[in-house]
Amino acid sequence: MAVVVKRAELTWLDRTYVWPVLQGMSITFGHFIRNLFTPTAKRYTVQYPEMKSVIPDGYRGLHELKRFEDGAIKCVACFMCQEACPARCISIEAEEFSDLNITQGFEEKRPATFKIDMLRCIYCGMCEEACPKDAIWLRKDYELAAYDRLSMQYGKWDLMNTYDEVDGKERISQDPTPSVPRRTIAL
Amino acid sequence: MDMLASLLHITPAVLWMVLKVVIVFGGVMSLAAIFTWVERRGSAMIQDRIGPNRAALFGKIRIIGLAQILADGIKMFFKEDLVPTDSNRNLFWLAPFLAFVPALLGFAVIPFGKSFSSGGATYHLSVLDPGNGMGMLYPLAIGGMAVYGVLVAAWSSNNKWSILGGMRASAAMVSYEIGMSLAVVSIFMTTGGYDPSEIISSQGGTFLGVLPNWNIFHQPLGFIVFFTCMFAETNRLPFDFAEGESEIVAGFNTEFGSMKFSLMALAEYSHMMTASALIATLYFGGWQVPFVQNPPVLLSVACFVLKLLFFAWVFVWIRWTLPRFRYDQLMALGWKRMLPLAMVNLVFHAWRMSQGH
Repeated sequence: MAVVVKRAELTWLDRTYVWPVLQGMSITFGHFIRNLFTPTAKRYTVQYPEMKSVIPDGYRGLHELKRFEDGAIKCVACFMCQEACPARCISIEAEEFSDLNITQGFEEKRPATFKIDMLRCIYCGMCEEACPKDAIWLRKDYELAAYDRLSMQYGKWDLMNTYDEVDGKERISQDPTPSVPRRTIAL
Repeated sequence: MDMLASLLHITPAVLWMVLKVVIVFGGVMSLAAIFTWVERRGSAMIQDRIGPNRAALFGKIRIIGLAQILADGIKMFFKEDLVPTDSNRNLFWLAPFLAFVPALLGFAVIPFGKSFSSGGATYHLSVLDPGNGMGMLYPLAIGGMAVYGVLVAAWSSNNKWSILGGMRASAAMVSYEIGMSLAVVSIFMTTGGYDPSEIISSQGGTFLGVLPNWNIFHQPLGFIVFFTCMFAETNRLPFDFAEGESEIVAGFNTEFGSMKFSLMALAEYSHMMTASALIATLYFGGWQVPFVQNPPVLLSVACFVLKLLFFAWVFVWIRWTLPRFRYDQLMALGWKRMLPLAMVNLVFHAWRMSQGH
């Protein structure tokens, strides 16, 4: 069934085209005046380096490797995240530590290296989902940029240091033996 | 002034002429440059954005982004000057000048302030003195020349988008020139002369006791026609058929880069300045200050500049209010609306004059 679209009836004033133009101009001028007398900081635009928008919960940014209260890493090097990662950006090497137990060999397992290639990472959060120990989280940091590709290879110590300042936790000391000299952009 | 002239070994008349040329054309060019920034900031404000506010002198002094003009200029100067392989090199080189020069020249006859006499000599504040025999016909003729800049640019770049834009623009400019000229003719009739100084001096005093005696109140219809045609003449939105980004890439200046492009853009803005000056002169009393019978010279200059800036701003304002016309709509408007309206206006004022008004 055809639908008859009822066209808006134009009055003679609208047909002159001059009056609608003046109406439109009054609208744009209203916007102009309103913006002219609004300080830049209060307009819609977020002036990025000075102002930052509030990142919503659930945002997936830079990873964090969680620690216990005593500072020991929670990760048990089970390789679940490495398997789950669709971009294959995580590479883990496991090691044993703690005392030698007579029946079971070494008591504990932990990552000797835990590398994430941030250039390959797609921030999908699958590693977070896969982790049985809640040891890897995606945080809200998004200012990830560097001058060279090597600087985007984040190692275990880097990832353990990615606490937000707001968490009130102190950053642990730097990687005692950094594998790669890192130059990140200071904002 | 006589002393300065004798120091420079030229006559005072020549010195005065040089001063006027430098002040007027330098002023118009710098205003045009400033308006490239005003356009961007103004459009941003209209659209609830912020616009270029970051460029700063020495990275420190942010004068609300005005340094953007300098930054753009420096950038344009240092870009590679590309010429398309199959273009007509000479014309391609010439086109920006053909666009830029007529845009500026139209300003030459427009008085930007009241004439004054000092030391027995009368000084006229316009590059060409009044009574030169060309009068208002000169900017109209020069405005016609502006078509060549667009068309030569389009032709020489050997690009289909360019030639389409150039053809559309030249068709639009030629058709709107007729309506514009007819609207101006009715002003010549009521004034009884076509010299801009006569047109301005006839607009002094008041009309009906409350309004300034400006031509817009006498000929509102003529003003609408002239104003619309000015948009077509300057190739600005809603009639920017030379460019038409959404349809033909960038139209006539698709192939232009670096300072050539900059000159094309400056030509558009200079044209805008000249057009605003024409509107102010013809319909808004030029340097006449409303309700002031015999204004001081500086006040008259300030008033003229204020009117000029206002109309230049209206050009920007309308650009960011109205969408572009379709090409056939433009032609229909030009030939079926503007031309008959201009004729009605002309005939009405001829009839009114014959009745002895």
